[in-house]
Amino acid sequence: MSTLRQRLPQWLPPWALVTFVVGFAALYLAPFVLGAGAYLHNLMGLTFMFVSGALAWNWVGGYVGQISFGHAAMFGVGGFVSARILLATGMPFFVGWIVGGLVAGVFALLWGHPTLRLRGPYFAIATIGVGEATRLIMTYWEPFTGGASGVSLPIQGGVDKYSLYWYGLYFMAAAVAVSYYLRKSRIGLGLLAIKSDVEAAGDVGVNATHHQDLMLFLSGTVVGIAGAFYASYFSFIEPGDMFGFQRSISFVLMTVIGGIGTILGPVLGAVIFVILQEFLIASYPELYLGLYGGLIILIILFEPLGLSGLILRIARGAGYRPRGPVAGGGVGSSAAAGPAVTSEQEEEEAPGMVEEKT
Amino acid sequence: MTALLEGRGVSRHFGGLKAVDDVDFHLDEGEILGLIGPNGAGKTTLFSVAASSIPPTAGEILLDGEVISGHPPHHAVRKGICRTHQIVRPFTNLTVRENVLVGRYYGTKLSQRRGHNDAEETDELLEFVRLTPRAHGLPGSLTLAGRKRVELARALATQPRVLLLDEVIAGLNPAEAQMLVGLIREIRDRGVSIIMIEHVMPAVMGVSDRVMVLDHGEKIAEGSPAEVANDPQVIEAYLGKEEVAVPAPEQEQA
Ligand SMILES: Nc1ncnc2c1ncn2[C@@H]1O[C@H](COP(=O)(O)OP(=O)(O)OP(=O)(O)O)[C@@H](O)[C@H]1O
Ligand SMILES: [Mg+2]
Repeated sequence: MSTLRQRLPQWLPPWALVTFVVGFAALYLAPFVLGAGAYLHNLMGLTFMFVSGALAWNWVGGYVGQISFGHAAMFGVGGFVSARILLATGMPFFVGWIVGGLVAGVFALLWGHPTLRLRGPYFAIATIGVGEATRLIMTYWEPFTGGASGVSLPIQGGVDKYSLYWYGLYFMAAAVAVSYYLRKSRIGLGLLAIKSDVEAAGDVGVNATHHQDLMLFLSGTVVGIAGAFYASYFSFIEPGDMFGFQRSISFVLMTVIGGIGTILGPVLGAVIFVILQEFLIASYPELYLGLYGGLIILIILFEPLGLSGLILRIARGAGYRPRGPVAGGGVGSSAAAGPAVTSEQEEEEAPGMVEEKT
Repeated sequence: MTALLEGRGVSRHFGGLKAVDDVDFHLDEGEILGLIGPNGAGKTTLFSVAASSIPPTAGEILLDGEVISGHPPHHAVRKGICRTHQIVRPFTNLTVRENVLVGRYYGTKLSQRRGHNDAEETDELLEFVRLTPRAHGLPGSLTLAGRKRVELARALATQPRVLLLDEVIAGLNPAEAQMLVGLIREIRDRGVSIIMIEHVMPAVMGVSDRVMVLDHGEKIAEGSPAEVANDPQVIEAYLGKEEVAVPAPEQEQA
């Protein structure tokens, strides 16, 4: 273990790598070992996609701290571009996914670069506008999106639903790895600094614009790939579903429920979202808004870091003491979440004293 | 010989208010320049312009004869100018050590870090400002004196050639002030040129090689500490404030 420790970069502790590899292997092998029914098997594949999308939304919403209500725009662009490429060229499906994702990423930059300077609610409002404008344009742009009748994907060159499970798994693994890297590496420090104080960050050399643009591009790209996955999964897409406001909201909900700014959060949130969607909302559609609305209110009031915050709290109750701040702040706070430290340290220090013990 | 840092006709207006008005200044290599003046004189604003935190309304800032104003602040930092803030602004969501690492990673050019050990040198810096025991705590858990040293270490981590210190001593008790003055001297001895804004007269007069006085956005005096302290215009600017002529022991921060 100690040699592994030395070979890994500083931001990657062995336990994280081991957890990642074990988790990946377990999910990779699960279908062979457990042999779950086709329904559950497919649903898991879809969940992997939602997890990836939520993680990517979090790169802007949590890491940069700018809440986007317009990510459906990238989801839809990724889906339709991918579908059109597969229809027109018959290329392998993953080429369509990647190109679709990249186009979505560039599209995100196009509107995001100017709007990311807006802070707080102004950015959020701008994203609603962007999302709705994109939805309208796409609905009327029939040659591209097929309008209300949508687009069916080709069977040829496509991918069968059964193997989508593993492609979804690769996709999710990549999204988790990138999330971890963006949180723990130097970029993560820079992002937290920007979130804490943009101007002070600039004064020690952090280029906030570059960081924010990069995040938006990555986020848009991965959400675009999620849209492309979705298109392949259902073999049919239409603009109302892909670009709808509910689609945008779903990414916000998954992340906020799970814990914004964390890595575990979007994963948990997406899983819960799919479960609710499949088993509850399907039978009681009128519950949809009330349920999520209630959840969000509870989270904002009691646990800004969502489920992850709750888990952390329980873990701390059981004696777990993480070092330093855990995440970059919860819902509605750009200040420190840093729930872990402080209290003990504050006690050992009388105000006005010089605190070193040299 | 060109000065290390030079300001030519620097102005910064806020609407009709001339916070800094047509100021020329220079800082030589290895020098400590004291910048004093009454409240609202424009000292902090001049720092903000010098460090590219805000652009000048007119004039330019040169480092080693090269114009560096007119770019975002990260540009100036990598060229070698770093400022601290009068009201400390640590990254509250990062540990003390991480605060310093941000300066290290982002404020230096890759070529400055090549062959160096980031972690080790960051720890040395923390030792230098005597924050090693608090390295893994949040800045919020420190006293004002501690947070000022976080700010100082974070700026030093960018390996500046010019360090702009905005009232790092004000608000500290005499023992803490003493220690910071010591640190400032040591930083200069390590080859960093410094401009320091300070209201605590004994400190600034004692440590500066040269002093420059701002009043109402204009430079009204410049010279050795003794010359400046006896300048009638300076005494008038501080009218009612005795600390120029008679060094007061301590002054609270507003
Ligand atoms: N961002 C701003 N917008 C408008 N006015 C400003 C701004 N920053 C500073 N000022 C004004 O410019 C003038 C100079 O302010 P500055 O902070 O530079 O003074 P100072 O010499 O640092 O004072 P102090 O000793 O109190 O720190 C003041 O009148 C101040 O109100
Ligand atoms: Mg000031």
